[in-house]
Amino acid sequence: MIIPRLVAHPLSRACSATLVRFAAISASSKSFSTVRQSSPKKNVVVVDGVRLPFAQTSTIYSDQMAVDLQRLAFQGLITKTALDKSDVDYVLAGTVIQEVRTSNLAREAAINAGFPATIGGHTVAMACISSSVAITSAAEKILSNHADIVIAGGAETFSDVPIRLTRPIRQKLITMPKAMKKGGPLGAVRHMLKGLKMKDISLETPAIANYTTGEVMGVSSDRLSAKFGVSRRDQDEFTVRSHVMAGKAHKDGWYEGEIVPYKGSTEENGIKADSTIESVSKLKPAFVKPHGTHTAANSSFLTDGASASLIMSEERALELGFKPLAYLRDWSFKACDPFEELLLGPTYCSQEVLSRNNLNLESDIGVFEIHEAFAGQILSNLEAMKSQKFADEKFGGKRVGEIDIDKMNTKGGSLALGHPFGATGSRLVTTASRRLQLENQRFALVAACADGGLGHACILERYD
Amino acid sequence: MLSRTLRKTLSSPVYRRAITSHLSSRTASLSPRLIAPPLSCAFQHHAFSTAVKADESASSSSPSSAPFVPSASRKYQYFTNVEVTPHGVAIVKFDNPTKKVNTLSFSVMREAQALWNEVAANPAVKSVVFTSAKDSCFIAGADIFDVSSVEDKSALVPVIEEALNFFLKIKEKGVPMVAAIHGPALGGGLEWALWCDYRICTDSSTTKMGLPEVKLGLLPGFGGTQNLPALVGVQKAMDMMLTGKDIRHDKAKKMGLVDLVVAPQCLESVAIQTAEGLANGSIKKSKPKAKSWMDRFIEDTPPGQYMMWNKIKEMVDKNTGGNYPAPYAIIDCVKYGLAHSSGLDKYKHEREEFAKLAATKESEALIGIFDAMTQQKKNPSKVDPIAVKKVAVMGAGLMGAGIAQVTAEKGYEVLLKDRDDTSLGRGINYMTENWEKKHKRKRMTKHQFDINCSRVTPLSDQTESWKRHFASADLVIEAVFENLDLKRKIIQQVEEVTPDHCVFATNTSAIPIASIAAPGPEVKRPQNVVGMHYFSPVPSMPLLEIIPHAGTSEEALATAFAVGTKQGKTCVVVKDVPGFYVNRCLGPILVEVSALVKEGVPLETLDKAMKKFGMPVGPITLIDEVGVDVASKVATFLASADLGKRMGGGDLSLMTNMVEKGWTGRKANQGFFTYSGKKDKKIGPEVKAYLKEFTGGKVSNMSEADIQDRIASRLVNEAAKCLEDEIIENPVAGDIGLVFGIGFAPFKGGPFRYLDAVGVSSYVDRMNGFASSLGEQFEPCQLLKDYAASGKKFHG
Repeated sequence: MIIPRLVAHPLSRACSATLVRFAAISASSKSFSTVRQSSPKKNVVVVDGVRLPFAQTSTIYSDQMAVDLQRLAFQGLITKTALDKSDVDYVLAGTVIQEVRTSNLAREAAINAGFPATIGGHTVAMACISSSVAITSAAEKILSNHADIVIAGGAETFSDVPIRLTRPIRQKLITMPKAMKKGGPLGAVRHMLKGLKMKDISLETPAIANYTTGEVMGVSSDRLSAKFGVSRRDQDEFTVRSHVMAGKAHKDGWYEGEIVPYKGSTEENGIKADSTIESVSKLKPAFVKPHGTHTAANSSFLTDGASASLIMSEERALELGFKPLAYLRDWSFKACDPFEELLLGPTYCSQEVLSRNNLNLESDIGVFEIHEAFAGQILSNLEAMKSQKFADEKFGGKRVGEIDIDKMNTKGGSLALGHPFGATGSRLVTTASRRLQLENQRFALVAACADGGLGHACILERYD
Repeated sequence: MLSRTLRKTLSSPVYRRAITSHLSSRTASLSPRLIAPPLSCAFQHHAFSTAVKADESASSSSPSSAPFVPSASRKYQYFTNVEVTPHGVAIVKFDNPTKKVNTLSFSVMREAQALWNEVAANPAVKSVVFTSAKDSCFIAGADIFDVSSVEDKSALVPVIEEALNFFLKIKEKGVPMVAAIHGPALGGGLEWALWCDYRICTDSSTTKMGLPEVKLGLLPGFGGTQNLPALVGVQKAMDMMLTGKDIRHDKAKKMGLVDLVVAPQCLESVAIQTAEGLANGSIKKSKPKAKSWMDRFIEDTPPGQYMMWNKIKEMVDKNTGGNYPAPYAIIDCVKYGLAHSSGLDKYKHEREEFAKLAATKESEALIGIFDAMTQQKKNPSKVDPIAVKKVAVMGAGLMGAGIAQVTAEKGYEVLLKDRDDTSLGRGINYMTENWEKKHKRKRMTKHQFDINCSRVTPLSDQTESWKRHFASADLVIEAVFENLDLKRKIIQQVEEVTPDHCVFATNTSAIPIASIAAPGPEVKRPQNVVGMHYFSPVPSMPLLEIIPHAGTSEEALATAFAVGTKQGKTCVVVKDVPGFYVNRCLGPILVEVSALVKEGVPLETLDKAMKKFGMPVGPITLIDEVGVDVASKVATFLASADLGKRMGGGDLSLMTNMVEKGWTGRKANQGFFTYSGKKDKKIGPEVKAYLKEFTGGKVSNMSEADIQDRIASRLVNEAAKCLEDEIIENPVAGDIGLVFGIGFAPFKGGPFRYLDAVGVSSYVDRMNGFASSLGEQFEPCQLLKDYAASGKKFHG
């Protein structure tokens, strides 16, 4: 599924192998390219990206809908880039907990942000990597010459989740008009009460659990950590690190420009910069009791927020006078067994995307942005990546590599900043792209896990 | 920069919420906050829409179009040819081919009778549909200039009677009538629909129904005061007639004003089906909605009625200060109608009252203002304005944010720039909160709210892209601190990044535009610089002064005027002199107030006298609301400007001392009055002591008339002096400037109409009297003396 043209940039020293493949593919698919002539040198670039301040659920965004957050993020992107709204070809957005009224969030957000009504848009859902897939879909549109300028973002709010009546009551309500017609008000009452059990009089609230396995995510992660021998202490230390680094980045003004002010403020209220190992280690396990290692502190909290990335073809970006932040080189969306290793996707995807591009994790990658769903989950992935045993089992002995922690999530991660499911992917890409520029590194690896055993990884290259 | 209290006058002809629709909601609507008129000028948003009138005046004042010649394809001037369907439905369509909208005039009514003769002669006709051939207008109202042009107003009575007979004749014949309404149906337009047996309207946002006559000092004279209460009940009818407000389709259906709401696409077909149904009896004629038991108590039982009328009178008294006769006449007509429900007497009474109102000074003044507003919509410049798409506003304070708000609302792209995110955030919040209020009041949909928000791009100095944004700005309006160097520096910044055609408007109240625009290293395009002086709070103040300097290009002036007008402001072009027009006229008042206080006139007496004169609030309250510091600054600034003796005679230390004490008015909870809470104000012991010291213990019991004349004459004289010095172009601009700018009694029509009404020569005598006893500051200007000598009038 990958588009090998991506790596055809001369600066990429990893391209030779894929170029061969590209040649093979393009030779075999010549008949398809009669409609749209594509230039072989088309590159996808990340021009810019923004996010609304991520905030704990039911705080500053308690009266907003996800569509409003997405609208504000789109608008913030336009403010930051001064792009003419009518230049945009397509709009994409990711979201997970759907509001029924705005099931096509991208469209509603775009039209209410004042984009011309003629610009199409659709919404994608891929759990915690929804906006990652929005971004790569944008890239695919550009590569297939269906668009040159795409806005890809994501939004999430847990401040207003759909709380539903139980199924039996819902069914009765849906068939009520029929009963009413037949039996009048009395018939309706009889219909309503017939066969109704006490336990039906209740509400269904969405849980953060996998549908297939029925397992709550925290429990899966707790098991994963046990499997890879990640201790409570390791997790707590990592959590403190995340908060301290996020706090420092905010204090230093590193996020200026990346965060769009909401009501004049860019504060992200989930960051506890004064966290200490003592304070964090006091907490009781939240999922597996009493011996589990996952607590409220070392798991990412429920967050509201939105983000948006401006993805363009290099050609068009230069034409409009933009200086992009990075090339979007390649990506992977491999999945693994949700029963066994639900949140180990980053390891598989990183392995795939690195080996496909002949990049060495330890010597080539200078910037890592990896999603922190749980401290236990990210540490387990790091263990899996460096484990020879794991490599022997899964990758024919080829280790993914050991990540230098000083290059990873140095501006804080999801544990501290928060994790609005639909918006995190775009945040990772923006932060990684900016870090490439500011830290003068060549390649960045972005990776994230998601419900369903899904994973994502992508490679960014600094734009000069 | 003048004050939020002004909105009260500006909309005082709008007797908002004169009545509550329910006793249960009585307490709520009693609170002054709710009674207080909305932040809008009566004339601004409501019926007799200004566009309509702009059109109207052009054609009525210059009947240049060729006379109408009937032909087979067009038998009538104001109607398309009548079609009759096979089922006997006659379709009558209003269509004024020379105008964008339909209005009712004497000639329309005359033609309608001829048309009816044709319809009545056709035996196939069993029912009639009245609708409009225009895309977006049923009937926008009666032609107000028809009424003005009649010298002897009692001659109106037979004319109206004849028109009314048109409907009575149809009723007599028993032919069912259906009104199919799309777009505005206002004034006479709605009255026409009220005569029908069935009303259908569309769900379009352009569809609105109302009886706005009260805003022009008139009443619905075409059966409205009788037919409306019968249909929707007395309470709702009084609410509509006394406030003149519009009713949208959903509310109209709910209150029974219309019987059916349909999509515009099927209006005609549904109307025809309905007419057929009415004729063959399958559809019943419209009946008033069943009243709730509460409404039945209020409207149909003696104790309820007693309470209701008391309440209505109380509200009207409160909102009009007894200065406007029209609401009382409306109440009288409705009461008369209830007492004489059968027979045609009630209509006779109504039209007689109408003719009486038409002859009042108040109505003439209100129509005058209306007319003036229409005239002021016309761009004075000969060249076309540049096409403005994007407007940049510099400074996100109260002023800047207000300007950004009205600009975005009218569809412009707006760049709002300030130094940092915090000040910017405050400005954005100000706008969004105002819009949220509108959204909550259903004056704005969520989508409109979102779109308005997204039209405004907030930029701070830290936003790297701000220059890129400004590269496509067509007009920049600055609203930063009153500092010449700062303003010039901003021009320099802006000129560097904006295209050459970009107009730079400066919103200042004190700095001469010429000094801001003086060519130099900072200002390279002085021809693009123009003054746009807004009044605070911008969203509710209807006036905008536009000030070209000597070098301003015609194009820049035209652009400022066009944008200002589109922002919903009435624009007055004013010469570049200290204080421009409105504040310049205000200066002498402020001095005179200090003189009166010094002579020992109690503050409450001052306020009361001027409120009686017709000002929205007394001058003392006004100073507190505007801010004692601001008023003091204006006064001292003008005292040192070129007004000379006209700023003499007072003691401005009254206010400067107060500023030093930190008594800056309402915002500090301490000005002349001490404020606690929203409503409570009283004169505290400290202020009493201060005043005692200031007056030296004097107490005066000057008559109200003297106070009024002393204050008003200085204002009126300054206005006349402005006309003499060509600071304003004509008396129309002068009237509109002071009515909309400082709330000069609208029922007096502005200073020049006021002078005409009282007679210039007697006014000059009065001023001369003051001048000899009080000093030369009262000496009337040369223009007034000339007018007094020649007996000329300012208006016609």
